[in-house]
Formats: sequence, C-alpha cells, structure tokens
Amino acid sequence: MIRKRLIISFLIALAGISIPLQAAEEREPFDDRYCTTCHGADGRGNYGVQAPRLAGMEDWYLIRQLENFRAGIRGVHPRDIEGIAMRPMAAKLTDESITDIVDWVGSWEYLPTEVTVEGDAAAGAQLYSQCATCHGADGQGNEALGAPALRGQNDWYLVTQLRNFKQGWRGSDAQDSYGQQMMAMVQMLADDDTINNVVSYINTLGRN
Amino acid sequence: MTRLVTRREFLNLLGATGGTAAALKAGTALGLLPATRSAKALDLLALGSNNKKVAILGGGLSGLTVAHELGKRGYDCTVLEASHRCGGRIFTVRHGDLIDEIGNRQYCEFDDEPHMYFNAGAARIPTSHKQLLAYCKELEIELEVFVGENNNAYMQDDGSFDGKPVRANDYKTNIRGFLSEMLAKSMSAQQMDEPFTDEEAENLLGLIRSFGDLREGDLYQGSTRTGYASGGYLTHGVQKDMLAFRDLLAGPMARTAMTAYEGDYGPCLLQPKGGMDNIIAGFLRKVGEQVKYRAMVASIQVNNDGVNVAYDQDGERHQLEVDYCFNCIPTHLTVGLDHNFPGDYVKALKYVRRGEAYKAAFQAKERFWEKEDIYGGITRMNNRSSEIWYPPHGIHKEKGVVLGAYDFGGGMYHTMMSQEERIEAHLRDGEKVHPNYRNLVEKPVTIAWHRMNHMLGCAARWRRSFRTWTTEEEEMYHTLQAPVNGRHYVIGDQMSMHSAWMESAVLSAHWAMEDLDQRVRAELA
Ligand SMILES: Cc1cc2nc3c(=O)[nH]c(=O)nc-3n(C[C@H](O)[C@H](O)[C@H](O)COP(=O)(O)OP(=O)(O)OC[C@H]3O[C@@H](n4cnc5c(N)ncnc54)[C@H](O)[C@@H]3O)c2cc1C
Ligand code: HEC
Ligand code: HEC
Repeated sequence: MIRKRLIISFLIALAGISIPLQAAEEREPFDDRYCTTCHGADGRGNYGVQAPRLAGMEDWYLIRQLENFRAGIRGVHPRDIEGIAMRPMAAKLTDESITDIVDWVGSWEYLPTEVTVEGDAAAGAQLYSQCATCHGADGQGNEALGAPALRGQNDWYLVTQLRNFKQGWRGSDAQDSYGQQMMAMVQMLADDDTINNVVSYINTLGRN
Repeated sequence: MTRLVTRREFLNLLGATGGTAAALKAGTALGLLPATRSAKALDLLALGSNNKKVAILGGGLSGLTVAHELGKRGYDCTVLEASHRCGGRIFTVRHGDLIDEIGNRQYCEFDDEPHMYFNAGAARIPTSHKQLLAYCKELEIELEVFVGENNNAYMQDDGSFDGKPVRANDYKTNIRGFLSEMLAKSMSAQQMDEPFTDEEAENLLGLIRSFGDLREGDLYQGSTRTGYASGGYLTHGVQKDMLAFRDLLAGPMARTAMTAYEGDYGPCLLQPKGGMDNIIAGFLRKVGEQVKYRAMVASIQVNNDGVNVAYDQDGERHQLEVDYCFNCIPTHLTVGLDHNFPGDYVKALKYVRRGEAYKAAFQAKERFWEKEDIYGGITRMNNRSSEIWYPPHGIHKEKGVVLGAYDFGGGMYHTMMSQEERIEAHLRDGEKVHPNYRNLVEKPVTIAWHRMNHMLGCAARWRRSFRTWTTEEEEMYHTLQAPVNGRHYVIGDQMSMHSAWMESAVLSAHWAMEDLDQRVRAELA
C-alpha cells in the first residue's frame, strides 16, 4: 500500500535518530521532530496554537525548558493551559532526542516577529530598566543569570508568561529556582496594562 | 363530513392549541418537502492546451476532491501532504498501522483481517450526503449499511436503575407510554372540540394511544413492544415490568434515548465496506501519482500571477511555483506558516478554534454483544467514555473491533490522560454495561484528535456562542472563503457552516473550484 511505500527512504533519511523498529514487520517509522506542527514553520511561533517562537532560542534555555516540562516542573498548574499543552510533548523525550532537537532548532533562521500587542512603549521602557539587570539592556538574555533573551519572542507569548508568573501558574514549583526568581520580579508589574507596556517596549528592541 | 385540512388551516389549528411557537415549528415540519439537493455534476471548463499548475496543500478529502476534478479538466495538480498518509480526519486503523498522536504514538495490534478495523475519524455517512455518495459511486467504493440506532443496545447511567444497563427499547417504550398517558389525560374533550372536528380529535387521541401503547382508561401499564420477559414462542409471552418513571427522569439518558438518532445521525446510515479510508483509496486510484507524502508545507506566498509554495521533504526545502493553490491545512496550523496573506484574512484564520474529539477502540476476543442480541448500533452511557459501538460488519465471525469511547470534546479530559489511564477509564465505564468487558477486550487504540500530528483538532469552531453566528463571524467566514488574489483558496469542512462532515469538505471544494472556473473562463475568453 501507499503508506508503506516510503518507509525505506525514510529509514535512510532518519538514520541516526532512534526509531522503534519491529523485527519482522515493516512499520511506519516516527521520530521526535514534531515540534513544527505546533511551533510553526521553522519554529517561527504559531498564535493559532499559542506555541511560541523557538527559532533563535539559546541552546541552554531550550534544554532547560524541555527538561522542566519533562520533569513536571513546568506545565502542571491547572490554570496554565498552554504549558499543559506543551508538557506531554516533552514528557517522553530522551536526552538523545533533546540533543537532536537542539541541533535542529539551531538550524532555523530567525525572522522578525509580527507585532500584535498594543501598549505604551515609553512607559514600558522605564519598567524595563529593572528587567535589564537580568535580561540585558537589549533583551539579549544573560546565560550566567539563566535569564533568556526576550527580544524577538512573540509578544502574545510574553504577555501570557508574565501573567502566568504573576498568578503563580508558572514558576511556583519548589524545584524551579529560575522560575521562582522571575516570579518574584514580575510582581512589580501591577496589572495587564503594565504588562502590555513592558512587552511593547521589548518589541522595540528588535533583533538582528 | 371529512375534508382535507389545508396547510393554513392546520397551522391555525396548531396556533390555537399550542401558540405561535408550535405553529412556526409546524410550518417547517409540514413546509412542503425541502427541495432535495441532487448531486450535481460540476460544470468546469476543460483546459485543453492551456497549461495551469495547481498546488493542493493537504491530502484531506477536500484536497483530493480538487485533485480529482481539476485533474480531469487538464490541470496539473500536485498534492503536498505532511503526514505519511492521506485522509486527515478520515483515518481507518488496522493491523500494524501507526497512530501518529504526538506524545502518544501507537501501533495498532488488531488481528490482520479485513473486518478488524476501526474508523478513528469519520465513521458514518448520512444517506442525504449526496455529493459524497456520488463520489462513492463514481469511484466504485462498495458501501454497506451502518446501524446507528439499535433498540437492543443499552442505556447506562449510574444515577438510574441502580446503575444497571437498560435496553434502549425499554427506555423508549416506557418514555412513550408515560408521555402518552399524560398527553391523553390532559386533552379534555372540551379542549379538543375547539379546533378539531370530532373525527380529527378521535384520530389524534388514537395516535397518542398507539404511540404509547395505552390501555383502557388511557393508562400506560407496560407494553410487549419491549419484548417479553420470558416465553413468546411456544408458550405465552410474559410481559416485562414497567420501568420506574423516576429513574427515567433522573438523568439525561431519556433525552438521549429519544433524540440521539435524528438528522445526520439518523438511524440508518452507510459505511464503506472494509473501512472509511476506502474513500481515500478510491480517490488515490485516480490521483495517487500526484501526491507527495511527508511533504510539509512551510511557506505560501501569493503574488499577482501565481503562488509560491515551499515545503519540507526528506530534510530538504523544496519550491513549487503554481498558478493556483487550494489549502485544506487546518486554519490554526496555516497561521504558523510563512505567508503573506492580507490582515483581515489572517484575522479570520486566527479566529477559528478546534473541537477536541477523542475516540478509543478495543479488539474483542469474541463478539459478546451478539450473544446479547445486539447486531450493530450504539450503547449510550452517562459517563465520560460515553458510547460503545458494535460493528455492523463481520457478523458471526470470531472477533470484532468495538468502539470503547467517543468523547466529542468540550474539554481535554481524555486527551490529557496517559494511555494507561485512558484504557482503564474505558474498561471501568464499559464493564458497567458488559460485566465481563475487561476480560473480553484487548489491544486498545486511543486517538486524541487534538494531538494528532498535522491535525490538532476536529471540527473547526467558527462560533463562540453555541447557537448563533455573530455578524462579525459571518463576515470573517466570507473573507476566508474568498480567494486571495483569486489564487489561494481555503477549503475543507472548516470552510463550511456544517463542520465535521465529509459532505461539507466536498462541498467546500466544489465551491472553490466553481469560483476558480469563472475566473479561468473569463481569462481565456
Ligand atoms: C472523530 C471524528 C469523527 C467524524 N465523524 C464523521 C462522520 O461520521 N461522518 C462524516 O461525514 N464526517 C465525520 N468527521 C469529519 C470528517 O472526517 C471531516 O469533515 C473531513 O475528513 C475533513 O476533510 P478536509 O478536506 O477538511 O481535510 P482534513 O481531514 O482536515 O485534512 C487536512 C490535511 O492537511 C494535512 N496537513 C496539515 N498540515 C499540513 C502541512 N503543513 N503541509 C501539508 N499538509 C498538511 C493533514 O495531514 C491532513 O491530511 C469526523 C471527524 C472526526 C475527527
Ligand atoms: C501540541 C503542540 C505542541 C507541540 C507538538 C510542541 N509544543 Fe512546545 N509549546 C507548545 C505551547 C502551547 C507552548 C507554550 C507554553 C506556555 O505558554 O507556557 C510551548 C512551549 C514550548 C517551550 C517554551 C518556550 C519558552 O520560551 O519558554 C519550548 C522550549 C518548547 N515548547 C519546545 C518544543 C519542542 C522542542 C517541541 C518538539 C519536541 C515542542 N515544543 C512541541 C505547544 C507544543
Ligand atoms: C533576577 C533576574 C530577573 C529579572 C530582574 C527579570 N527576570 Fe525575567 N526571567 C528570569 C529568569 C531566570 C527567567 C527564566 C525562567 C525559567 O527558566 O523558567 C526569566 C523568564 C522571563 C520570561 C519568560 C521567557 C520565556 O521565553 O518563556 C519573561 C517573559 C520575562 N522573564 C520577562 C521579564 C520582565 C518583563 C522583567 C522585568 C519586569 C523581568 N523578566 C525581570 C530572570 C529575571
């Protein structure tokens, strides 16, 4: 049948990635490179699934988040709808798969994001000066402090995260030391407007 | 004297007894038969020597419909399908098949026999779905009857009848009896005089009495319509006891029993022999050569004289330049592609959400339902597994595949469970109906459509409100239906107002091709 026709060529194409193969039978192979179904073409982020941009993400941050999702440190709070959607996607990843994915994500070119959030960027700039300590003046991130780059991330996603940190839906796990830091910081953002303002400012930081 | 009541007179009569609402309802019920939509042949211009290239994004039913019809007219079509198989939500699971649910991949271990399959997506064809049936005929896809309603199947509700399963027949006969008794008693002779002639009144009462099998004094005292408690062939039949009306009223199951098989869910439906994906196989016999598998569309750039599509296959990016593009990729996944669509189009794409349908099935080691006089049909449970479907095919063979759960969505209840939790939930629910269920079934498969690779959902949800479309929603719908630059068409049941039906997918493709045809005719004129 048609569905079996391509198997051989895929076995070759996918060589190197672990595929559960049955001894006697030909079975359709699969791998763990399914991220773009949700995260969009070349990991550009997909608002339709609320899955953020992966293209351009720092290796260390990507690995940490995948490990956190896998360990149930992130994406478990019942109100964290989007995180809950992501967690099972990481639950079964092996360390080898994560290494392979990090390579793959690294091959995607960063492309400018669409601006969807409206806010007062000037007011946001003032607030951001405190964020800059960790995330960098240009929102470029700081590996030493474990704070990821913010510029160039989908703005709707940044808004969700700031809300989730504020509500304790992300970052309240006892083992999530980085998340806890961020949870403490986000308390300075009083309400939705403030969140929109700071995200509008992050939008101006652009990215090369 | 008898004479025929005119339609208007009848409406007046109903208006007098039941108020305008009743009259309005009667208006549509009586409203002269709805014009039967006949399967119309598509009148599309054959291209002759005018070479035109078409990219079809997604090998769903609507995409293959376009490939087939435009192919016949001389268009040069390429179907790009991200998955290892065509058909999308038409998915029949058989021995050895991969279920590509992200995070929960499975291989189906059913016995390798033609009747051992599970229609994990579309499973029933209403006989009024003419366009789809016309393709079944054209493509020589053998059909057989699918049993929807089966009076011998069960109703089960923990809150009624001590949780014991009750035959649908007992539910329905008793509900009819009780309702008829109330209706007959509330219709005093006086009231009846008003709008009806004596003869009409007598006929109406007669109808009510026979609807509920009432005895003298308009009493419901049970009925042999439920079948006998014992005897009935060589000895006198012994009537079954009446059911307690309180139990019938306790939950939603009475309503389910009386209304579950209306409209598109009608009692008698059709299915292709051997699996729903035989429809897809039928189309592929015509256009299979044009399909590229594991070809995932990444970019759609519409310009003035064509569309540039980029897709990933075998770890490489490929380009395809075409004149026209038909896209059945689910809208929320199209949002994540690299595209240059106009703003209002993107707004509409982003607006559509998806239902969370979920199904599970087991291989049954023996056809235990046949021993309980059940041949096809659906058991209904007031629990999350909700339904058990008995296969109408493979009658009297050793084994069969039963559907063990059908959750239409409205939440991620089953989707969020692990495979083990899902299976245990269905075994627990199912053994309330068939006590030995746990031991009778094996080799489960579960399909959470919200996690199926390249689908991530079932029905497109255009409405935020359950009942009505807002004006804004209608506007967005028409925005998305109209082609970008006359070149890029969104198709699929998502581009219909009756989503989650194959007929709608076919009709959306027809609409788009007819629109294209007008443009092509104008251009070539
Ligand atoms: C549980 C369930 C029960 C149903 N029951 C019935 C029923 O009983 N009767 C009935 O008539 N209908 C039923 N339906 C609905 C029916 O299955 C659908 O209406 C119909 O199959 C939709 O066809 P489509 O053309 O819209 O394409 P879809 O089936 O939506 O296919 C879309 C295709 O696009 C592909 N794709 C996605 N992303 C990409 C990409 N980036 N690049 C390339 N390709 C891509 C997908 O792999 C898929 O093949 C049911 C559906 C479900 C899920
Ligand atoms: C079913 C859809 C889906 C799939 C498949 C999926 N993701 Fe996600 N992912 C999401 C969603 C939704 C979020 C947003 C979570 C949130 O808002 O907290 C997310 C978040 C993430 C994050 C966190 C980003 C950040 O900035 O902190 C990472 C990293 C990630 N996903 C990586 C992956 C990788 C790698 C894969 C493939 C192995 C993958 N995802 C597959 C839906 C998905
Ligand atoms: C003390 C250092 C620190 C400060 C100050 C700080 N953050 Fe963070 N932030 C972090 C760390 C660490 C993380 C990573 C958390 C994790 O790994 O889950 C983070 C994560 C985030 C994320 C989630 C990014 C993603 O991709 O999911 C956002 C959004 C964010 N910070 C915004 C801000 C904003 C806005 C401010 C200022 C109001 C701010 N942060 C101040 C340390 C800080």
